[in-house]
Amino acid sequence: MINGFFYNIRQGLKNIWRNRMFSIASISTMAACIFIFGVFFSLLMNVNSMVRTLEEEVGITVLFDEGISEERIQKIGETIKDNEHVIDIKYTSAEEAWEKFKKEYFADHPEYADSFSEDNPLANSASFTVHVDQVENQATVVTYIERIKGVRQVNHSDQAVKTLMNFNSLLTVISMVIVIILLVIAIFLISNTVSVGINVRRQEIKIMKLIGATDSFVREPFVVEGAVIGLVGALIPLLILFFAYDKLIGMLLNHFGVLNNLASSLPTVYQIFAVLLPIGLVLGLGIGLIGSALTIRRHLKV
Amino acid sequence: MIDLDRVSKSYERGQPAVRDVSLHVNKGEFVFVVGASGSGKSTLIKLLLRELEPTKGIVTVNGYVLNTMKRKTVPYYRRGIGVVFQDFQLLPDRTVYENVAFAQHVVGTSGRLIKKNVPEALRLVGLAGKYRSLPRQLSGGEQQRVVIARAIVNRPSILLADEPTGNLDPKNSYEIMKLFEEINNRGTTVLVVTHNRELVNQFQKRVITMRSGVIVHDEEEGGYTDD
Ligand SMILES: Nc1ncnc2c1ncn2[C@@H]1O[C@H](COP(=O)(O)OP(=O)(O)O)[C@@H](O)[C@H]1O
Ligand SMILES: [Mg+2]
Repeated sequence: MINGFFYNIRQGLKNIWRNRMFSIASISTMAACIFIFGVFFSLLMNVNSMVRTLEEEVGITVLFDEGISEERIQKIGETIKDNEHVIDIKYTSAEEAWEKFKKEYFADHPEYADSFSEDNPLANSASFTVHVDQVENQATVVTYIERIKGVRQVNHSDQAVKTLMNFNSLLTVISMVIVIILLVIAIFLISNTVSVGINVRRQEIKIMKLIGATDSFVREPFVVEGAVIGLVGALIPLLILFFAYDKLIGMLLNHFGVLNNLASSLPTVYQIFAVLLPIGLVLGLGIGLIGSALTIRRHLKV
Repeated sequence: MIDLDRVSKSYERGQPAVRDVSLHVNKGEFVFVVGASGSGKSTLIKLLLRELEPTKGIVTVNGYVLNTMKRKTVPYYRRGIGVVFQDFQLLPDRTVYENVAFAQHVVGTSGRLIKKNVPEALRLVGLAGKYRSLPRQLSGGEQQRVVIARAIVNRPSILLADEPTGNLDPKNSYEIMKLFEEINNRGTTVLVVTHNRELVNQFQKRVITMRSGVIVHDEEEGGYTDD
């Protein structure tokens, strides 16, 4: 039946052409759907990568009671390490903290720093920086550390991460809703386009069946029609997105005021498309097939 | 070849369109089916095409028992049968060549064979020179020849024709009937439903006469009888 299949591919393409106004409407809707899906998908991938970067960077800072002994600090460190969520712990002495502070704030004016030279103003700022396996476990670890004797203060700056994660969920919900609405419209339009093709070809279908066409042969051109509309409708926006990606995502991220230090670790257009391209094409193909299947079942009692 | 055993067909309302018909047609026969309008001739053709299923009785064609035939088998059964109707049923937007090739595409013939078979069929019906014309550029007789070419291009063993000359003048009608005779001479079983008394009498073939769904005459080398 391979001969018949090639014939039906041509017939399916002819259907699309003869019926071009409907086809264009279907392809456009499909394209809008996949485009929006692609943009949101890219944004999500970017925000996800930011969250990951922040998770790695953000640590818990542990400060100690005044005048605490080195031994005591050591003990505290071991207790912290006992927690299952703690993956890494780093000690910063008061001297190191001061050096770091000087570098950051008095780099241009070392003479100001000199006025403190005799007396470390950060004498009590020895600290542990604790890295946690997952950002979700931070709160548990903080509570755990706060209970340890000799700990004065626990700082954890996960606010940025929290905001991003909330933003991520919001983005997911919005994109899902928009994409689902557009998908339904796309299915509806493709289904209509195919049914126009079926009505135009009623006589032809009748003759085909009398000549001895199998049911699947009669259906094939319409399946091809739906599939091609779906695939073209997916391919066009994916191509546009691929070439416009850097500008578009740059603009969006800029708009949301993404920190520059995160931008360096964002995924590349190739990493995004390695996932987005197959998903987009399968989505397009699937919608096209569903659209034509619905109509074939309703209007083509073969 | 064709065998009807006490076949009846009733539509939703009214008298049965075909009533208790038993009929046997041998391989290679040429049969006219005649009778007044509404006597059940088209219903008989539809039963043979398995467009309709009989209400009673058994229809056997080419070894297929149509009553018990599975849906999936119907297309393969139909490939053994060519059909010609009164209204030509050509695809208006395709050329003569494409209309005939259409039948071959439907049954999955390879492009190479199509290129050989279609011109051959067009030559047989005398339209080899018009393969690029569209149906509307042809006369009624020519259009009917295209339909016949389409009906025989898949080399069916049976050719069914329902009033094939109903829309044609006497000269064209005669030529179409000659064509059926030619096809029959090449071994195809031919069954022609017609109203045309003169033609039937000219050709001296087996004639089956129907009235109110019943076969009232069945004569070898017969003529068209009214009663
Ligand atoms: N689809 C149908 N539904 C109901 N009655 C029909 C249908 N087709 C034909 N009939 C009836 O069946 C009878 C035989 O019709 P038909 O087989 O078309 O006769 P013919 O072809 O000899 O003119 C007629 O009385 C006709 O009215
Ligand atoms: Mg009739």
